[in-house]
Amino acid sequence: MATAPQLPATRTRWARSPFYFNSASHLLRIGREKATTLQELLEAIRTCAESSIFQHTFQTLEEHHFIGEGFSNDFSHWAFASCNEVGLAERLAAIDVREFTSIAKLRERLILIMEEYLQRNPRAATRTAMEPFYLMASDLVVVPTPYVARNLEEFADGLRKVSIHGIYYHFIDARLRLKLNNNDFSVWLEQELDLAQVADRLNRIDIYTSTLEGVRRGILKIIEAEIGRA
Amino acid sequence: MKEKNLEQKTAIEEKNGIGREPGSVQQEKATATETPARPEAPAAAAAPPGTKERRFRQTDLPAHFIERRKHPRISTEQPPPPAPPCLDDYAPIIGRPELDEIHFLARQLRGKTVKMVNSTAVGGGVAEILNRLIPLMNELEIHTRWDVITGGNDFYEVTKGFHNALHGGDYNLTQQIKDIFMSYNEQNRQRMEFAEDLVVIHDPQPAGLIRSRSPKHGRWIWRCHIDLSNPHQGVWDFLKPMIEQYDAAIFSAPAFTRQLSIPQYLFYPSIDPLSEKNRELPEAYIDKVCDDFGIDRSRPVITQISRFDRLKDPVGVIEAYKLVKKYVDCQLVLAGGGATDDPEGAAVLQEVMEAAGDDPDVIILNLPPWSALEINALQRASTVIVQKSLKEGFGLTVTEGLWKEKPVVAGAVGGIPTQIIHKLTGILVHSVEGCAYQIRYLLTHPELAAQLGKHGREHAKENFLITVNLKRWLLLFQILLGMAKPHVTA
Repeated sequence: MATAPQLPATRTRWARSPFYFNSASHLLRIGREKATTLQELLEAIRTCAESSIFQHTFQTLEEHHFIGEGFSNDFSHWAFASCNEVGLAERLAAIDVREFTSIAKLRERLILIMEEYLQRNPRAATRTAMEPFYLMASDLVVVPTPYVARNLEEFADGLRKVSIHGIYYHFIDARLRLKLNNNDFSVWLEQELDLAQVADRLNRIDIYTSTLEGVRRGILKIIEAEIGRA
Repeated sequence: MKEKNLEQKTAIEEKNGIGREPGSVQQEKATATETPARPEAPAAAAAPPGTKERRFRQTDLPAHFIERRKHPRISTEQPPPPAPPCLDDYAPIIGRPELDEIHFLARQLRGKTVKMVNSTAVGGGVAEILNRLIPLMNELEIHTRWDVITGGNDFYEVTKGFHNALHGGDYNLTQQIKDIFMSYNEQNRQRMEFAEDLVVIHDPQPAGLIRSRSPKHGRWIWRCHIDLSNPHQGVWDFLKPMIEQYDAAIFSAPAFTRQLSIPQYLFYPSIDPLSEKNRELPEAYIDKVCDDFGIDRSRPVITQISRFDRLKDPVGVIEAYKLVKKYVDCQLVLAGGGATDDPEGAAVLQEVMEAAGDDPDVIILNLPPWSALEINALQRASTVIVQKSLKEGFGLTVTEGLWKEKPVVAGAVGGIPTQIIHKLTGILVHSVEGCAYQIRYLLTHPELAAQLGKHGREHAKENFLITVNLKRWLLLFQILLGMAKPHVTA
């Protein structure tokens, strides 16, 4: 594993507050709803708990973090693999969870896409899927880690050591916590180290065309470049 | 009435360090570089007594392959089981940060007591899981003991009937049957103490122990390992009021659940990456096993590992292989057990032999139960792994294939779609023709096969390893004991 370049102490920029790396573990709860047709899925999306929408969109990204392409969310995958509705699957897959800072808005988008598609393709609504869709939810427990960063070097070190679940927690899950189109890393870099441009570059890393390990490498590349520049 | 399991339980207690200081489980470490020690195996018949030796048509295969295919060297002695590993042994597999998270989650639970109860100490998947899980919990200083309920033959007849009925079979549920079930549960309840902080009851047999639940102390969890998607209504109606007295229920797949008033959690079954069935093997050992069974490693190998059971569709696999063979020169290995002591298994094996005919490239192996290392080697020697089941539980042979980074082609039944995300972590099929086409495609597109294998292994690592299972238990214990409040992001 590469080590961070060591810089003289005088050139190190110190954060006003440290960054505490956390991780998150989740436990899957089995919901009461299941869908055997797209119409039933639409009804379930309308009425299910927000934690179910979260599970099948945000959380599933973490569960499939190792797939760099071809997987976006469970609804899209089910429309493709079990209902053979490629057009619907494509539109659902194009939803970028980073644009949403509330589950309510994300639910609205899902409903809109499904309603439009089923209006144009009414026969698809009631065709029985090959496999039912079971709505799940997730109990997420935040797990502190020993990694703390007070400067960029320590930040890079923490990024290298924290589990992939920690990257997910700070980079993706954070959007709903912060209610901003942003992530914990960028917020810290901007607010505590005055590195607005670096923060912005991090926030533009595409989570849909990379694995989470790829995201980690992308973040590190930006941070290491900044360390080298300082 | 004859009592069962007492000796078995003692053996398990000794093995798991129950009654010893926590964390005292002794280890016999085995590493990937060691060549597994095995008794020299004399050549043994691949088929049970009475099964005719196969006759092969004329072939260009070297004579030693033909000889081994007719008389594979199958180990005849059961080796002693290796001691379970300790948590640190998993670090090279799951990474130090993952292990640190497990330790962190366990820290708050340190000193808590857990009792696991099931109905058998040896044999079966539940005993296998508990054998590996309980030492890890004790190592984390969560004092976990394993108790096995006892009962007479009449009780086990009833519980076997319940098992089949809960899988959808016909059953005549009488008051006498209910009384037998409840009276043995009551006897066990009187015999056992339930002072632990957490009590986990596995499967329906001991479900009636819930009557010992105190409203003031302890949380009770029902872990259901069987598929309840289509149960006998009468049996389920009898059990359901007991189940709903628990604090939570756990199922192995969303499709296996019933509507219940208590929270239901999803715990996938798991494999141990350090067990004989799954640990890394030296290439030389894989070569040796292939040599013992007459497998030619220079040509593609398609493998299905499963007992000789019609629900695993071994004849369908042979039909698919024959369609593949028209285009690709390959071998098929059908390896499993259950044909020696099970009359139905022997009949299925005979059907398989007939379907294979005189094709020397169909290699049929009826292996004894202690063949974990050989099965591991066979899976690792395979080019494509098939599990063309018509009905399936969770399908841990699929998990094993995914873990070994192999492309897996499997029937879309039971828990298999949970493991195989079609075209991402493997291939799901619904017919002989579909199975044949997908195998053919993978054999001629090795880059796709490699990609599926890579994703499959990651999927198994994220969801189906014993360490993930351990983490799920720790999370559930914390949530039920009120130590962790689930984080709400919505």
